[in-house]
Amino acid sequence: MKPLQRILHVEDDISIQEVAKVALEIVGGFEVTSCDDGQSALSRADAWQPDLILLDVMMPGIDGPTTLGKLREQPSTQAIPVVFMTAKVQPSEIEHYRAIGALDVVIKPFDPMTLAEQLRRIWEQHHV
Amino acid sequence: MSDIDVQARLAALREQYSRRLIDDLQTLMAQSREMSARQSGVDFAALDVLRQGLHRIAGSAGSFGYTALSRDAREMEIWLQTALENTNPPTPPMLTALHDRLQDCYRALESPPLSEVDEPQGSYYLASGDRAIRVAVLADGDTETLIQSLSGFGYECRQLSGALDPHRTWSSWHPDIAIVDTAKVAEEIWKPAMEAVPEAALIMLSAESGFEARLNAVRHGAQGFFTHPVDVPSLEHRLRHLVNLPQQDPYRVLIVDDDIELAEHFRLTLKMAGIESRVISDPQDVLRGLRDFVPDLVLIDINMPGCSGPELARIIRFDDDWLKIPLVYLSAESDAHRQAQALALAGDDFLVKPIADVALVAAVTARAQRSRQLSLALARDGLTGLIKHPAIKELIELEMARGQRTDTAACVVMIDIDRFKSINDTYGHGTGDYVIRLLANLLRQRLRRVDHVGRYGGEEFVAVLPSCSLENAREAIERIRVSFSQLECVAATETFHATFSAGVASTHEWSDAETLLEAADRAMYEAKQGGRDQTRIAVPPR
Repeated sequence: MKPLQRILHVEDDISIQEVAKVALEIVGGFEVTSCDDGQSALSRADAWQPDLILLDVMMPGIDGPTTLGKLREQPSTQAIPVVFMTAKVQPSEIEHYRAIGALDVVIKPFDPMTLAEQLRRIWEQHHV
Repeated sequence: MSDIDVQARLAALREQYSRRLIDDLQTLMAQSREMSARQSGVDFAALDVLRQGLHRIAGSAGSFGYTALSRDAREMEIWLQTALENTNPPTPPMLTALHDRLQDCYRALESPPLSEVDEPQGSYYLASGDRAIRVAVLADGDTETLIQSLSGFGYECRQLSGALDPHRTWSSWHPDIAIVDTAKVAEEIWKPAMEAVPEAALIMLSAESGFEARLNAVRHGAQGFFTHPVDVPSLEHRLRHLVNLPQQDPYRVLIVDDDIELAEHFRLTLKMAGIESRVISDPQDVLRGLRDFVPDLVLIDINMPGCSGPELARIIRFDDDWLKIPLVYLSAESDAHRQAQALALAGDDFLVKPIADVALVAAVTARAQRSRQLSLALARDGLTGLIKHPAIKELIELEMARGQRTDTAACVVMIDIDRFKSINDTYGHGTGDYVIRLLANLLRQRLRRVDHVGRYGGEEFVAVLPSCSLENAREAIERIRVSFSQLECVAATETFHATFSAGVASTHEWSDAETLLEAADRAMYEAKQGGRDQTRIAVPPR
């Protein structure tokens, strides 16, 4: 199994970007690139080819689910796994995100000390 | 990276986030108040804006350690969501309840007392730490006036005569500052004495005022240079500057760059050098960033989508509040002509990317320092270095608001030098200015760090003492009054003593800055009428 290394984090809130960077880079030891909207995520994912995209659901402009759709249309990003991040917790919504192709959903607010571990677990579950 | 580093980084992010949180909560409170006051129908669009704000807090606060707040915001969000989906929109009393709950969150956020409020009440003996600052004076002959004046400011002074073997005494006493009178004491004597106390800062007194004498002082490592007769207020000002030097707040830089990785690199580079910065990736957020962060300098990427660097610089310059902040472009542009064009539009300087970390830090530090000096100078009185009249009034309003939040009282003290006109008439205006500076320095030295001192008019001063009872304020001012009356003021041919009268009023008794100042002023006049050289407390009318 290929280990999880490169994570693209898409999030419009700079504060959350920064805390996630600490959580993933320093605590988790991943390589992280952040961008703050769906549009730039499309080009960044194409150019940087991350192992996984951590995608915020609610964003101004194009939102998370729409971004996911567009990633799936782009051949170069078609196969990159996407994990949604959302502050909504209704089980029906989580099911919905899985149905449209998300690997899993991470609930906001996340704990910066365990976020990396959570992603690693999701990664392993889906590659075993 | 070690766990401590992670915790330090998280703590820094938490601090940054908490500032934003305070703003966000204030905005939400204002929105909910406005909606609860609406007479006509419910504004669904405004309700949705409120819901989005709560959603943002619910989804982020917990990651920064504010778990309870995240939960509260989530509950409020769900409540609003239900109301929005419902055919029965929320009534004004429900919205008032929402506002009150937001206010509770806000209070909970603020309730760990601000560090300023932490300061023990009545700790008015010395502003400079646990013990008095020790000043050794190495001189032959009459230094009594100098030592007496400095003691009056709260310094612990000892005179050491050159004829004795000084270094033995010095090294066991550990002076913080050594004042050496080079006119009276030979170099063979004072140099070994200084070597025995390498941690003490050296101030030289000299009979010569020329360039050579100053250069000599610099070469001996002196951090201050004064000629006879010594101007005591200036000397005292320098002493305080020397002992307070390391306590400056870090410089603050706002970085506007759409390349987040690069901006983040700049932020970390600056952080390593002790400079705080905040990154903004969307030019549209810059005004908000300026308001929230109040930087000493703004770094702007010259090429950004939607709004170029020079355009953004011009937008910033529309606002008078930000005129004094240097705007520095960061650009890969090395073409001198195009740089000049950008500078002609707005902005102060260019840094060319790629830039070495050391160069970035050096460039930012130099400009931020200059900017801070300038803004301090603009808000301060030229003669005394104290806060000017309009700024002190704003401070009183701030302290009153803080007092209401934290349920503590602040005191305002009005101080006026007695018979100042006759001092001017008898000894001349130069001596009058000297007395004003003497009192300004004494007030600064004797009040707590959290207190504010301003020059209100000619010979009138005002002090604002947060978290302070009337009785503590009166005692503090009384001690200063007695010290001041004992200080020797030096005129050309003689020495004399000056006094002041003071009036104290508490924010407990008066509801706004204007009436509070008037009350303190009336009490001060009562002190004058009661025979001057005394302190009176303002009593509210029954």
